[in-house]
Amino acid sequence: MSATDVGILALRVLAPVLVILIVLPMLQWVERRGAGLIQDRPGPNRVGPFGLLQPLADVVKFFMKEDLIPSNADRFLYVLAPGLATFAALTTFAVIPYGATLSVRGRAIPLVGADVSIGILYLFALTSLSVYGIVLAGWSSNNKFSLIGGIRSSAQIISYELAMTTAAAGVILAAGSFRLTDVVALQSGSWLSFPYRGWNVVPQLLGFVVFFVSAFAETNRLPFDLPEAEAELVAGYHTEYSAMKFAMFYMAEYINVVVASALMVTLYFGGWSLPGFKPVSVTGVLLSVVIFAVKTAFFVWVFMWVRWTLPRFRYDQLMRLGWKALLPLALLNLFWIAALVLWKAL
Amino acid sequence: MTVRFVFDAAAGLAILFACVMVVHRNPIKSVLALVVSFFALAVTYVLLAAPLIAAVQVIVYAGAILVLFLFVLMLLNVPQEVRQRPDRPIHQALSAGAIVAFAAALLAVLRGYGVTPAIPVAEPPPPGDLTPVAKLLFSDHLLSFEAVSILLLAALVGSFVLARREGSP
Repeated sequence: MSATDVGILALRVLAPVLVILIVLPMLQWVERRGAGLIQDRPGPNRVGPFGLLQPLADVVKFFMKEDLIPSNADRFLYVLAPGLATFAALTTFAVIPYGATLSVRGRAIPLVGADVSIGILYLFALTSLSVYGIVLAGWSSNNKFSLIGGIRSSAQIISYELAMTTAAAGVILAAGSFRLTDVVALQSGSWLSFPYRGWNVVPQLLGFVVFFVSAFAETNRLPFDLPEAEAELVAGYHTEYSAMKFAMFYMAEYINVVVASALMVTLYFGGWSLPGFKPVSVTGVLLSVVIFAVKTAFFVWVFMWVRWTLPRFRYDQLMRLGWKALLPLALLNLFWIAALVLWKAL
Repeated sequence: MTVRFVFDAAAGLAILFACVMVVHRNPIKSVLALVVSFFALAVTYVLLAAPLIAAVQVIVYAGAILVLFLFVLMLLNVPQEVRQRPDRPIHQALSAGAIVAFAAALLAVLRGYGVTPAIPVAEPPPPGDLTPVAKLLFSDHLLSFEAVSILLLAALVGSFVLARREGSP
């Protein structure tokens, strides 16, 4: 492996991570201005034009705040937890293809961090680990509200992961592969052909709805933000956190939203492909990246839209929805897709 | 060479944290040590060209079962164990001897069956390497596969019956 190869690999892996980290503060601005729009109020509008510099001011504020560690906290785990949350969130993006294959000077560069054969399984493995950040934060803070937040989070994420994985199993079945590039390639054909080669959302609408709802629970976003429910638990698992440690939880939440959106786009909405669009030249490949970014941005906006539209669930409602509604629906979707595959319609 | 080094490091970490899990006094920390141990074990699986086993190891053990352990420990709020002075040192000596004897017996049996240490591979496994696993699972090992699923179903029904109190819906 030459130095150029190593450089290209590093760029392939780091580019999406850097883009996400740069976009994060802007997402916070979008969320707050969006809240203003939906609730018929201005939102942040004092720092810079349209309040655009507000995220910058917030970042400076996070750095300047006093960094407290409660005296009875478990210091090691208390410091480890926010890092774990951010790490698990950032590494999930490694297997999502964010563009077509770029060919420069006879070199084929697939625009994906690592095209591994167990792509989808890798994603689920890391999402299931992301719960540790929250649970450990809750436990190590030595605060009853934090602890309840952590306990809720562990039960919630396990329950919804089941429905989410079963829904995604439909996609795996249709693609016949765990590889996410295969999943995208299979969705980039014609919508009118038989067997069907268009976006997965059409035959698997039910699976998509289950996946979509579970994604909200997995990312701890409203209406499922029970682990931090401020009306009951002060701030849940991150009650005791301040300064950059709190900011890291905040970042992890936004990264998870971006990754969940990118995953929905990849699994159900054709990834970087559009019907009738063939990326041939370098411009075409760049266009595919733009298409992927626009689709992902749409779902990120939906996450924010829902946050300011729906009230929070009660805990028993959350559990009932996960086990008695979403899981059976995901199984139904799996049977339906299995039947389609059997009839060679997919 | 690097692969060999990573493999040895991961295997060493797995054993080290398994020991931490046994001796640590705080049950929460024990669970976390087990998470690290399972994760290191998954790394060795990847290096042995078995990415599926590695993924399943992380999803099922580290991601689900240990989270449940953590959930129960936190819900019950199990206190830290108090270290007691061993009142019968002979028990300790006997158990240490038993461990060594068990390890020796295990090694002898494995050698007797001709089991040799697996060698980690540098090359990534060929694409589509999950198909052979699936084929084996649903042909040669179908009976054991189905038997395990029946066993799990029985465990599920059993826990349901035990958890259900008289008179509750």
